[in-house]
Amino acid sequence: MTRRHAGRALWNTVGVAVFVVMVFPVFWMVSTAFKTDDQINSFAPTWFSTTPTIRHFTEAIHRPFFWADVKNSVIIVSVTVVIAMALAFLAAVALAKYRFTGRKLFIVLMIGVQMLPAAGLIIPLYVLLARYHQVNTLTGVIVTYLTFALPFSVWTLRGFILGIPKDLEEAAMVDGSTRLGAFVRILLPLVAPGLVATSIFTFITSWNEYIFARVLLNDQSKQTLTLWLSFYLGTGRNTDYGGLMAASTLTAIPVVIFFLLVQRRIAFGLTAGAVRG
Amino acid sequence: MATAAETTPKWSRRRALTWRRVGRGAVPYGLIFPVVAALGAILAYPIYSLVRLSFQKYGLFELINHHGVGVGLHNFGSVLHDSVFWHTLVRTIVFTVANVGLTMLIGTSLALLLVRVSAWVRILVTAGLVLVWSMPQVVAVQVWIWLTNSQNGVVNYVLTQLHLGDYIEHNWYVTPFSQLAMVTTLIVWGALPFVAITIYAALSQVPAELIEAAEIDGARSWNVFRDVTMPVIRPVLLILTSLSILWDFGVFTQPYLLIGQGHIVPSNYLMGIYLFEQGYVKTDFGRGAAISILMLAIIAVMSVFYVRKMVRLGDVQ
Amino acid sequence: MRARVFVAAMLAAALGVVAATASASSGRAQANKLTVWLQVDAQNGWPDIVAAATQQFQQQNPGWTVDVQYQQWTDHLQKFDATIAGSDTPDVIEMGNTEMTKYMAAGAFSDLTGSKSKFENSGTWLAGLAKSGMYGGKVYGVPYYAGSRVITYRTDLFKKAGVTKPPTSLAQFQADLVKVGAQQKGVKGFSPLYVGGEDWYTALSFVFDYGGSIATTHAGKWVGTLNSPQSVAGLTAFKNFFDATQSKATATLDGSAPFPYTVFSQGLTAANYGPAWYTCCTGAKYKASTAQFVMPSHTPGKAMPGFLGGSDLAVPAQSNSKAQAIQWLADFTSTANERALEVKGNIPNATNLLGDSVNERAAARSWFIPQAKHWVDVENGNILKTMLSQILTGQLSVKQAATVASQNIAQTLNES
Repeated sequence: MTRRHAGRALWNTVGVAVFVVMVFPVFWMVSTAFKTDDQINSFAPTWFSTTPTIRHFTEAIHRPFFWADVKNSVIIVSVTVVIAMALAFLAAVALAKYRFTGRKLFIVLMIGVQMLPAAGLIIPLYVLLARYHQVNTLTGVIVTYLTFALPFSVWTLRGFILGIPKDLEEAAMVDGSTRLGAFVRILLPLVAPGLVATSIFTFITSWNEYIFARVLLNDQSKQTLTLWLSFYLGTGRNTDYGGLMAASTLTAIPVVIFFLLVQRRIAFGLTAGAVRG
Repeated sequence: MATAAETTPKWSRRRALTWRRVGRGAVPYGLIFPVVAALGAILAYPIYSLVRLSFQKYGLFELINHHGVGVGLHNFGSVLHDSVFWHTLVRTIVFTVANVGLTMLIGTSLALLLVRVSAWVRILVTAGLVLVWSMPQVVAVQVWIWLTNSQNGVVNYVLTQLHLGDYIEHNWYVTPFSQLAMVTTLIVWGALPFVAITIYAALSQVPAELIEAAEIDGARSWNVFRDVTMPVIRPVLLILTSLSILWDFGVFTQPYLLIGQGHIVPSNYLMGIYLFEQGYVKTDFGRGAAISILMLAIIAVMSVFYVRKMVRLGDVQ
Repeated sequence: MRARVFVAAMLAAALGVVAATASASSGRAQANKLTVWLQVDAQNGWPDIVAAATQQFQQQNPGWTVDVQYQQWTDHLQKFDATIAGSDTPDVIEMGNTEMTKYMAAGAFSDLTGSKSKFENSGTWLAGLAKSGMYGGKVYGVPYYAGSRVITYRTDLFKKAGVTKPPTSLAQFQADLVKVGAQQKGVKGFSPLYVGGEDWYTALSFVFDYGGSIATTHAGKWVGTLNSPQSVAGLTAFKNFFDATQSKATATLDGSAPFPYTVFSQGLTAANYGPAWYTCCTGAKYKASTAQFVMPSHTPGKAMPGFLGGSDLAVPAQSNSKAQAIQWLADFTSTANERALEVKGNIPNATNLLGDSVNERAAARSWFIPQAKHWVDVENGNILKTMLSQILTGQLSVKQAATVASQNIAQTLNES
């Protein structure tokens, strides 16, 4: 027992060290958000401001279009995540649990789409959306994001479903009901960790996406928060670093909130619902 | 909608439920239809357009007149005869191998670490990973530029304080190797959260009883990992590797912003940047389309091993 | 269960679409709407001037609205390309003066020659800016504003080193900087002058000061001239000046990280050579002891030619509201607005409006890039930056580096 405790203490130390190293750049971002301009530009690094200021934060919130762009980002990302998860889960079930003609083709298609260099698609996509007057709309952006979120989600969820040990599944399939219903009801809890990981990924990728939002959204009132952020850097003149770091901290908050809401589903160990015989 | 299962007698319904049976009927098609429809509606035209462009001369003049000039395979020929293309390809392959290797190794180690630590450390590290993950790439690049700034960057300051040498005014971006090394640290750092958390989620599917049983039987941890854990997480590892290859091969934002447009030269080109510079900055869209298709082909070849494994995996079980 | 999942998914999708379309506009091109693309410099620096022009326009054209969309320098051209492809271009677009030629050559803009008289002061437009908006003898761009380069310096450090008035020749300036450097010898990391070594706007000013040039046309083809005797003399003078007045570490920097004015605000340099707006960011500590003067030429009493940066305004050829676009342009570049721009520290677009600020005096002698449609490719290919870092690090001799650069420039400019 003591050996196990000592082992665990060692791992804990390693864990904390990993935390410190990984998080340092984030720490730097947040601490800079509270520094005064002189401290930011000082020759010797200022680790921690002894005279913190929240001026950067208040200025950021009062910059034009902040709240409008928050709203746009939240709408775009939530709709994308919900639709992507629902559709991808169903498609992943089909891929993993059914044999049908065209199955292999569909699988290859899922990864094939992800191999397309996004840069090459920007202008043709713009032309297509412009034809249907979906440029400068949130719907156009949602539809674009779905296109990149779906193949990835299907591909990843399929892997999670395949990874479920056979006996866990068969042990749980006791009752008779429609086959699909059984799959969904049984697989959903077992695949929950995978769904959570995939939804976090989709959330973050959509939240931070820049290139397509930039090209498709021209009106600042319709832009996303990530585009709003880029205006700190886009000028040819001086960059307000304190403001940029404060603004970046603000844009990261919803992501953290989303994660806190869903993280409990990544449970370690046997998840509820499986029957041991 | 009644399926075949519901209308057959009770004694055969049980057999129909084992998933080894072929699932006939429209159900699977209905399940994949929304995804196919969505992708088809959005990507069909752009992909067709991309292929058509690659066979045309399409510069700014043609863009304005909405009319390209057919040139057959000229674009492909000119790219394949460009020595810059080949040098960039080799450089990008090496870069991809390094990045994917580091990401998967460190990511798996992190996930295994998460299993072994106490709950409070697990929450701490996971929270830290999510914070890293949530940072927009553009901002991460800015922080990196700051940290590695030759004049007042923290890295130089700390290294000098630790007496590892005089790093004041050391410029980390002088040679292509050091530039791409800096880009690698940034990319691996940014990629670790997703990989670690996903593998950790996969590890949570491994039945704890099996691991305990194996350990009680005296199996060493490497054997436990190989025989009990790996089979369960293999699909996820394959997926992550194939996705990492894809992403790291075509990466654009981080190197472009970190090295800076002002220092991007053919000797530090990566494929994503090469495509952007040739296709967009020079407004030679036909050439850009040809490069896109070549990139697609190369990525397909690079990931065929993993893709084949993934496709087969569904059949083996 | 299956039905529940399906219903939930459809509901979510439906809700999403409703929510999205509720907050989105139809995206359809509205009648009587003028779309204007200006850079964020206007949004940050003079939004009131933009508002004044819009108000005046709307009075002249009742029923019309003006949608000003602010763009960023980094990607506004890629966005413009996308709108050209989608037949969705703005009606007015701000272009950097170095970006114009490529688009004019491709026919992206409307011919404004016939409407030139509608723009106030068009008879006395600044030569450098006006030239950047002309192609094949026709006018495609209206000069908007310009900026030159000046020396921003620490009056207190200069005074401490015994320099009481701004130098009038390059040699004197170099001697002054060396004096300041000697005075500040104890300060670690101090550089009397701080300019990125690869900042080609600075280096090429020397080239033009000695009578050199970047490239000229000869029988319809471009020839690189950086290796001509005069250009080499200019580059050599630059190298000597650099070695005497700057720390070695700046040889491979292009001035984007750190910014020169950041170094100024840290007290680690006594002078910067750059745009006049540098005074915005030199730090509160040195605000009282910051001043500017015109960079002197190697010929005593003259100004070194400075790079005349600036913007033009153009009307894309695909615009459906050309007449209104021209009217908005005329309102925006009116004498009153140009004077307002001048007050904000810019150089106005006509010689009769020029005042006496350091920025404007520096513009008296200026140089500009070759009017070639592939010039942007030279810039993006970093040919000049590579040449400068080779010279300043001693990797190649001045003549060698200049020859290589000339060949590359010629090759790039002569591409079909």
